Amino acid sequence: MRYVRAFFGFWYDFLVGDRPELFVGPIAALFLAWLAVRAGVPAPMTGGLLFVLVATVGGSSIAWAMRG
Amino acid sequence: MALVTIVSSFLASAVEFVEAVTIVLAVGVTRQWRSTLLGVVAALAALTLLVAVFGTAIILFVPINVVRLVVGGFLLIYGLQWLTKAVLRAGGARAKHDEAAIYEREIAVLRTEPPVPATGMDWISFTVATKGVLLEGLEVAFIVVTFGASAGMLGPAAAGAAVAGALVLGLAFLVHRPLAAVPENALKFAVGVMLTGFGTFWAGEGVGIDWPGGDATILALLAAYAVLALLAVYFVQGRLANRRLRVTAAGPGY
Repeated sequence: MRYVRAFFGFWYDFLVGDRPELFVGPIAALFLAWLAVRAGVPAPMTGGLLFVLVATVGGSSIAWAMRG
Repeated sequence: MALVTIVSSFLASAVEFVEAVTIVLAVGVTRQWRSTLLGVVAALAALTLLVAVFGTAIILFVPINVVRLVVGGFLLIYGLQWLTKAVLRAGGARAKHDEAAIYEREIAVLRTEPPVPATGMDWISFTVATKGVLLEGLEVAFIVVTFGASAGMLGPAAAGAAVAGALVLGLAFLVHRPLAAVPENALKFAVGVMLTGFGTFWAGEGVGIDWPGGDATILALLAAYAVLALLAVYFVQGRLANRRLRVTAAGPGY
């Protein structure tokens, strides 16, 4: 049990760490991009949307870190 | 694409190997070189096995669109973490990585350990070196597997990492000092841009985006992220300067 907890603890620290918004944000961005693809939004617009969403997640995280 | 994969993997791995070498040097210098190097070999063997098993399994058994979505998604998450940290460091909001200071700290900790045995293996050297290389190397393995699997180029990605490892270890062996002169923070900034750009591209393909311009879009994404990251550095510097001004204007507070 200790090893299982240590294993998941390692991966949590590795991928989430102290910035959960950088884990949840890109997943949410990809989900929205997937919805846009399914809705038939043209590829250049969907690609642009994904880029803007990822940049917004990164920018928000930096702004958040500056407030803290 | 192969060259880009090699360069990206090389740069990302070089940064991690520099950090691992600092620990290895500290253990070797303060304790026993033979046990330390055996620890390094054990960790490198474990990492090679990990990359070979997981990388090959992912490429052979998982459909490419799933690989691109899941693995590209991980790359995007990981890249964004690197990039935002690098921006905060470059802007002065976060302490920069200082290998010389880390080296001194490691040596101070190792001096509190029991003395090296007169004969045979020094298990403390072995364990600390193995753990250090394994932990830093896992990040290399993660990058090699994600990059290699998403691009379908595990070989070039592994080659980039191997060259980086050989170069960093060789340099450290020659100078016998932590590689503090390596522009680690600038490298992390560049690698953060690369991982985020490639992660966006591959994860985007995974969700079904047919990027206009094909692979050439990667270059546009890299350029756009680089520009935004530089603007973010100016934003951070500006906020810190404003904060300092406000503190100065408020006076000493008595």
